[in-house]
Amino acid sequence: MRNAFINTILEACQDRDDLFVISGDAGLGVFDVFKEEYPDQFLNLGAAEQNMIGFSAGMAMAGYKVLVYNIIPFVLYRCYEQVRNDICYQKLPIILAGIGSGLTYAPMGMTHYSVEDLGIARTLPNLTVLSPVDPVEAQLSAHYALSASSPVYIRLAKRGEPTIHCTQQFDISKPQLLVGGDSSVTLFCHGSIGEETLHASRILAEEGIRPRVFSVPMVQPLDRDALLQCLQGVRTVVTVEEHYSSCGLGATLRDIIMDSDMPCSLTTLGIPSRFIHEVHDTAGMRRLWGIDAAAIAAMVKKLWKVT
Amino acid sequence: MSTYDTALQVRRTIIEMANRSQSPHVGSCLSCVDILAVLYDDVLRLEPWHKRDIFILSKGHAAMALYSILHAKGILMKEDIEGYYQNCGTLPAHLDRCTAKGIEVSAGSLGHGFNMGLGMAYGFKKQDNNRKIFAVIGDGESQEGSIWEGALFAGGLGLDNFTAIMDHNNLQGYGRPNEICAFEPMREKWSAFGWHALEVDGHDHNALRAALREDSQGKPKILIAKTTKGKGVSFMEDQLVWHYYMVTDAHKCKALEELS
Repeated sequence: MRNAFINTILEACQDRDDLFVISGDAGLGVFDVFKEEYPDQFLNLGAAEQNMIGFSAGMAMAGYKVLVYNIIPFVLYRCYEQVRNDICYQKLPIILAGIGSGLTYAPMGMTHYSVEDLGIARTLPNLTVLSPVDPVEAQLSAHYALSASSPVYIRLAKRGEPTIHCTQQFDISKPQLLVGGDSSVTLFCHGSIGEETLHASRILAEEGIRPRVFSVPMVQPLDRDALLQCLQGVRTVVTVEEHYSSCGLGATLRDIIMDSDMPCSLTTLGIPSRFIHEVHDTAGMRRLWGIDAAAIAAMVKKLWKVT
Repeated sequence: MSTYDTALQVRRTIIEMANRSQSPHVGSCLSCVDILAVLYDDVLRLEPWHKRDIFILSKGHAAMALYSILHAKGILMKEDIEGYYQNCGTLPAHLDRCTAKGIEVSAGSLGHGFNMGLGMAYGFKKQDNNRKIFAVIGDGESQEGSIWEGALFAGGLGLDNFTAIMDHNNLQGYGRPNEICAFEPMREKWSAFGWHALEVDGHDHNALRAALREDSQGKPKILIAKTTKGKGVSFMEDQLVWHYYMVTDAHKCKALEELS
């Protein structure tokens, strides 16, 4: 997914000399060829994230379309105030590419997990937030960001996520139906946990249980009308995310459902709001927090009976 | 009209604005007035506007000083100045670039404008654009880590189109810099980071003019401008309280009497 996104950006650099890539001392194996071929469009600003964001804002004001590349804590957390004041407040068309969404880096430790970034990004007006489910959505996210006139934050996994979509012809700003089925139970997911969600739907299908599955690549701003359309006839909504459930897509959907008086229940599958001290790889973490395919399937099965 | 006349006019406008609005930071504004007067009268290229040099007030809490010099140069109107810090007004106490012409960057939180200026300087240099960037930073602001992150990189990037001017008035929010941290020696610190660093009397217009025009030998330049907080109003000079105190009607009368 990461490579699909970055390659789309780098290809665009060949035709656009206003495109500029800023790395915060990250990108081994990603930019090696690019920085040799396009030295005038690449700069490593080192381990100095406040300067990295402020400097990028200045370049944007000088007319450049800047992509900032780093792992998520260094794109959004350490330099939050620069993102807020320098980029979002001034509505500059910068692309923030955050690598390592969710538990991508497990078991690197809590410092490297990004399980609250949506909660943070949601506090920032003017910021569009994309959380692609597969390489296709990642590519479309890149195209969207390249043409955007305001800031875009994209959270990306990098563990070789499989391609889910069969076509590239869709609108990345709207929820996407990944699996059709009985609309009474509908699942919404974003990011790389889509793989587990789809696996769960296959497990359930073997037992004749066929909930619908949507991806929500653009988590901010959420297309409220399109979502309400998806919720027509739904009695049970399940959100699945590799993120704190308190401040991610589930929490946003809860607000929308409550405001709309839709007669449906909501179950949010995600990570509880606490620091993670357990040591597991990504698959182990998903099992631990009940967001692996088996746990998702079990929850849906339980809800299916109630429904 | 000399730059000293401009500075006097700007100081009077600041006192009137501070009194009308009952807003703080009058001391921080008065210390950087001479720097702004020399820059806007004699150094910055302002015509044509789309090719202008960029001035960034990184110590954005001194916004009244920038608004006043922009008014003196005819870029901001009387109505803009009168709407400062008022309900349904025109200009906030910290800079918002959406509010008026001439406000190049939004600033108010310390340690932001400087880095944006570096990015602009780098961008213009890559475009072979000869526009220059000037940024006034505070001495309190110079304790922000972002300043030193930027300083470290700018030295290596050879940004000789960027000039920082430190308004070193030796009084920050709640003390003197050197009593709070190992602040000095400032010039040596910047030199060590690869900058062309100069010390200058921040109220001596000839000295400022010469330092601003001095060739920086391919490096970014910084002027450590020694200034006095509250400069020009005797009872405000070098007094910490004038970082925050409001200008009463009595203060205003006395100050304007001195600034005549």
